[in-house]
Amino acid sequence: MADKRAGGLTERLRSTRAGEALDLRRRVRRLEAEVQECRALNIRLAELTDIVTELLLPVAARDEEKLAELLEKYRQSV
Amino acid sequence: MSTTLRRVPGLAFLDRVSEVRVDGSGVRARSRQEAVLDVHFDGRRIVSFWLHRDGVKDGNGWLFAWPKTLREFLDGIADVRVVVTRTGEEVFRGEVRFGSGRGRVEVLNQHGQPISLDKYQRRVVAFDTRSGEELEPMLDAIDEVLAALKDVGIEAFLAYGTLLGAVRGGKVIGNDSDADVGYVSHLTHPVDVIRESFRVQRALIAHGYRITRYSALAFKVDVEEADGTIRGLDVFGGFLMDGRLYLMGEIGDRFEESWIFPLGTTTLEGRSFPAPADTDRMLSAMYGASWRVPDPAFHFDPPTTTVRRLNGWFRGLRVGRARWDRIYSRVLKGMPAPSPFVEWVGSIEGALGTFVDVGCGRGADALYMSERGEPALGLDFQPRSFAEAARRSEDNHLVTYWTMNLLEIRQVLVVGAILARRPGRTVVAARHVVDATKGPARDRLWRLCRMVLQGEDGGRLYLEFLSRSGSDGYAGQHRVRPRKPGRIVAELEQWGATVVHRETMPVSDRPGASTVCRLIVEWRGEDG
Repeated sequence: MADKRAGGLTERLRSTRAGEALDLRRRVRRLEAEVQECRALNIRLAELTDIVTELLLPVAARDEEKLAELLEKYRQSV
Repeated sequence: MSTTLRRVPGLAFLDRVSEVRVDGSGVRARSRQEAVLDVHFDGRRIVSFWLHRDGVKDGNGWLFAWPKTLREFLDGIADVRVVVTRTGEEVFRGEVRFGSGRGRVEVLNQHGQPISLDKYQRRVVAFDTRSGEELEPMLDAIDEVLAALKDVGIEAFLAYGTLLGAVRGGKVIGNDSDADVGYVSHLTHPVDVIRESFRVQRALIAHGYRITRYSALAFKVDVEEADGTIRGLDVFGGFLMDGRLYLMGEIGDRFEESWIFPLGTTTLEGRSFPAPADTDRMLSAMYGASWRVPDPAFHFDPPTTTVRRLNGWFRGLRVGRARWDRIYSRVLKGMPAPSPFVEWVGSIEGALGTFVDVGCGRGADALYMSERGEPALGLDFQPRSFAEAARRSEDNHLVTYWTMNLLEIRQVLVVGAILARRPGRTVVAARHVVDATKGPARDRLWRLCRMVLQGEDGGRLYLEFLSRSGSDGYAGQHRVRPRKPGRIVAELEQWGATVVHRETMPVSDRPGASTVCRLIVEWRGEDG
């Protein structure tokens, strides 16, 4: 019951103009953080694509000696 | 006069700087308008500043306090001049005595070269202390890097201060201290331009250059000059997207391709270099419309939207690197003794395929294990840290040191792949790593360990980190922050690990001693 009353009060406060402004501010902050999270995927995707294209095909070729050489060369190049 | 114009510092008739005084605390002056001032000691420019932006209110005027980077030199006498940058008007001149020294104030670096402070108050050997002849090797280095970039399909041009100096007067800027080049990719998506930057890095390394990456779209190329001096040239990548030019590290402006390509030329110190087609527009994007007005104290102030885009797309790879670089160049020198932690690991483990020390610092623990006959590998994101250990162990084939940055996935994955293929049991040790890093770097550490330790040969991860900070200054000495053992264990379990040993212990017998937590961790089974 107490919870319900508190919930009702929160809702009433939220519906005031000041409450709406506060709520919007909070949502914008969250959205900004989420946009940054999405932007960070660019590096991750580029890094993974780079390693896959540089290493995956030779790995599939199963040439042990070449693979060891390639891994070392890649390590020195990043 | 419009408000915008009034804000532009350096407009002559507004620079009414008065009541200038100089003493051991700094420069005091009055000026209703913002003013850019240069301070000269014995005829040489030492520092420049914006009176209001860099000063603090002091009575009716402003006080620019001597920056920390300058204070240690202020002992003795100097003929001090304070000059309004824009007009050259001298607003103060006099002999000033600093501290109790009787000699002249000398602002020199450890090699005896005259230094000054740059716009961020960092000590630099500025171009104004160099003769034309001394600039030649730098111009050669620019040529060399531009040619190397061209070889790999990148049309680069002079950028930032180097472009500014060339276009403004055909000369390097006196208060500048390095050379910058930039390029605008023909690709138009962040992922593609990052991949291109990786390709360029690979090609330059294949040409024999050492590269230090600043971000996913900017790096430094080390060029060895004729006398053996290593000069770092910054290469800033950029691209056009949706009618905007994004150029590391400060630009996100409306721009057209025809303002860049085809590249034109500009003259620097009598030599011709490539420049964007429209240098006026490029310099306006870099320094604002007032780029023609010299301002040695200029600070970049790109709009938040640009900063957020460049940060989100390209940055976050070098968190803490400058700080650790300073620590290893100034504080942590010489070889320490092996840590009690590695002695503990050594008392449990033996006959290893490889001992891996992640965050090896000065490399003493890896060296210790190699001297016990175990093949050892030290990994650290700061190559300066283990340089001495690597030098000392040139004849010791059991120990190697590699640079690895936990924040660069490519580095972590390839090191993991190499180690996973090595025969024998692998032990990974990480002392004061989880308490010096945040979540993203720790995730990479756990990924590396899982790659290396979940194979058939087993293997273990040994961790030591600060769990409670006491009054003994241990956290400060080791530059770490306490971590809750429960939280670290939970992270490990999320990554499929099993903690087989956990203990906490004081770091000494003294009252108020901090405590560290030690964990032994295994990855059991293939699907961990």
